[in-house]
Amino acid sequence: MSIFDYSSHEGFDVMHDGGVDRTRAIPNAGTEVDSREVQLWFGPQHPGITGNMSVQVWLKGDTIQRGITHVGYLHRGFEKLMERRKFIQSFPIVCRMCVAETDTTEYLLASSLEELSGLDQDVPEKAKWIRTLVMEMSRLQVMLMVLGGQVGTMGLGTAPNWTYTLRDFLLDSFEELTGGRVYHMYITYGGVRRDLPLGFGQRLEKTLEVIEERLPYLDDLILNSAVFQKRAKGVGVVPSEWADELGITGPPLRAMGVASDIRRDYPYLKYPELDFKVITAEGSDIYARTEVRRHEISESISIIRQCLQMMPHEGKFCAKLPNMMTWTIPAGMTYTRAESSRGEMGFMMVTDGSDKIRRVHLRGPSYTNAITVLERMLPGTNIADLSALMVSLQTCPPEIER
Amino acid sequence: MFKINDKTQWDDGSGQVIDELKARFGDHPVHFQRDDLARVQIPQKDLLPVLSWLRGDTPFVQLTHMTAIDWMEEGEFELVYLVTAPTLLTSLMICIRVDREKAQAETVFNLWLHAETYEQEINEMFGIDFPGSPRQGVPFILEAWKDIPPMRRDFDTVEYCARTHPERPGREHQDTRKYVGRKFGEKGFLK
Amino acid sequence: MKKFNGTDKPWDLTSLPTTEVPKGSVPHAPTDDQCFLGSENIPEAPKLQEAVATIKNWFRASSLNVLAFGTGCGAIELRPLSTSRFDMSRFGITGAPTPRQSNVFIISGYLSTKTLKRAIRSYEQMPNPKWVVALGSCTINGGMYWDSYNTIKVLDLYMPVDVYISGCMPRPEALLAGFDYLMTDIKKGEANGWHHYLENLNWYRENQKQVINDWDLPEYSW
Repeated sequence: MSIFDYSSHEGFDVMHDGGVDRTRAIPNAGTEVDSREVQLWFGPQHPGITGNMSVQVWLKGDTIQRGITHVGYLHRGFEKLMERRKFIQSFPIVCRMCVAETDTTEYLLASSLEELSGLDQDVPEKAKWIRTLVMEMSRLQVMLMVLGGQVGTMGLGTAPNWTYTLRDFLLDSFEELTGGRVYHMYITYGGVRRDLPLGFGQRLEKTLEVIEERLPYLDDLILNSAVFQKRAKGVGVVPSEWADELGITGPPLRAMGVASDIRRDYPYLKYPELDFKVITAEGSDIYARTEVRRHEISESISIIRQCLQMMPHEGKFCAKLPNMMTWTIPAGMTYTRAESSRGEMGFMMVTDGSDKIRRVHLRGPSYTNAITVLERMLPGTNIADLSALMVSLQTCPPEIER
Repeated sequence: MFKINDKTQWDDGSGQVIDELKARFGDHPVHFQRDDLARVQIPQKDLLPVLSWLRGDTPFVQLTHMTAIDWMEEGEFELVYLVTAPTLLTSLMICIRVDREKAQAETVFNLWLHAETYEQEINEMFGIDFPGSPRQGVPFILEAWKDIPPMRRDFDTVEYCARTHPERPGREHQDTRKYVGRKFGEKGFLK
Repeated sequence: MKKFNGTDKPWDLTSLPTTEVPKGSVPHAPTDDQCFLGSENIPEAPKLQEAVATIKNWFRASSLNVLAFGTGCGAIELRPLSTSRFDMSRFGITGAPTPRQSNVFIISGYLSTKTLKRAIRSYEQMPNPKWVVALGSCTINGGMYWDSYNTIKVLDLYMPVDVYISGCMPRPEALLAGFDYLMTDIKKGEANGWHHYLENLNWYRENQKQVINDWDLPEYSW
């Protein structure tokens, strides 16, 4: 073969340079290269970490040998604080349990205490529709953020800029509705805090059209991009045997092919009357999880449109509440669950007949994903994929340590 | 304290599981909270047999949640294990009571791997020991904590703050009624 | 070739201007002791050090590098800042991945004692001059976590703060207004928190050691 012959069967970048064959890929670094083990803190101060947690990894070359997750940088003692507050004062606390998606925890607090006090029979129909709408809007903006963040950790800067701007338009709608961009404190006991403004549906529809118009470009940029496919297919595979053993829920579970969704399995609010699909994908790798999230964006948009159409125009938005300063709830214990963008989120709520909560414990999906699953997936991962893996498992530290 | 309900309200597979549980491990009170949630109180010695039986022979294979509650006035801790059956779509809360002075319980790490994190946190926050569980005593959320486990009812968080974290001077606690009265006069009060 | 005749136009030599300047017709340049402001209003030339300092401060204010450390809740509103809607890079503000190359440390909300230790280490590793921007009421007096056993109440005792931005959490526009305030202060030469930290290091260390129980940081994290 002459040096001018570029039609090699191994690819067209043949460079025979003094006998060195560069067509073979560099073998797995760390196994053939003799390098000593280095301890590295993928620490709290890092541009590639989701939130404020750290992963202590031991590296040989580029391959991670093992790792330990460290959390606790964001601990505020929420559960202790909630035992000292009256029921109505807990909403600002519960909002901040997950910084990105704030409406799910508010709904869980409201629904668990409504169930224990018997108030859940009084929640009006319109309030349930508004709650569903708000939760789907919140889900949509988190999905957009994570979709952009997923490729942002791999080096693509355009997609996060687009998705964060699209998310900003949704935050504008939230601001019009609730008064706050990020922390809404909108869902309360017995319903919601105030009614939808006039013309809210039309303005929200315009925002949804803007988002939908941009989605094909995002598809081309993310899902159809050869670079992302090369970096995401076959990377970060979660074995399907771990689903039961480790209690995995949400997009990581749906990316294994299991059609499990709390909105379908344990219906709450108005989901039984809505028509939506449970998105699954095959492969359980980063690409499958991104596919699930991308199609859930379209599903969320369709659910929001259905909500706006089917919502009754007249009706009360909140039930008649007792005096919030002296409201006591009889003793009981319950567990309410909701589908957040990360998985199953639940509140274990215990009351004892007084005017304060006895014990509340948030069940966060990141609790298992960030610690148990991540630590078992680290051996053999390339250090360059660690950030992308964490975003694909959607590890959110505030809800791990509350 | 909790309403006891003797009737089995479930006719499907979950009802059968509860009947079999009562038959095997004694007729303990079962409280049906919702269509998909029930609560069973069992003695501490039955914990591992019940959970292994549930994990191995029944559809209840997932450990969704594990928590601890401090009943200081009764001198006990209560440990709650929430197991879910994904095929039946129901959940059971298995509750045991543990003595508060000698707080110790058996670990379920051999049944579910992620129980080690729950047990690590409960150990740090409540002081309950789970001998055999890895990472017991390894600090998880708190760093260099010298006081009693903070989630216990006798830990006073305000007093701890006053002792350890200095506050900015000039912040006074005011009585709301008096403040409003000073500012708006008698008409400012809501009737 | 035509011979030049003095009476032919336009070569009329008598209408060309002469080099002699008539008195009072052309304004002459001011002499040394005269000025159009009056001799008592001549401005003083700025001293060299002041000029250099002004230029240096202008450079520093126009290229702020924000350290990539999301310490608390407020970090969620830092990403929208870099999108084109709010656009912080038109002010010269960019992100820096390491403390060695950054200027500004944004403490976005509350600080637990565990994060405080890492924040102190990162802060001390930043080269001088550096500034701290504190977001929210949690940094002023504890905010809504005033009775929490794990968060610090007053940030000023542990790190010097140059700008407080209120909000929970502050909007991106509020952050830009805060940065504008910081840049004005830098240009005036008044943002000297880092100087205060180095001068009163012992006082800061005492406060830090009071809340951080397992103190294992060096004397100063260079």
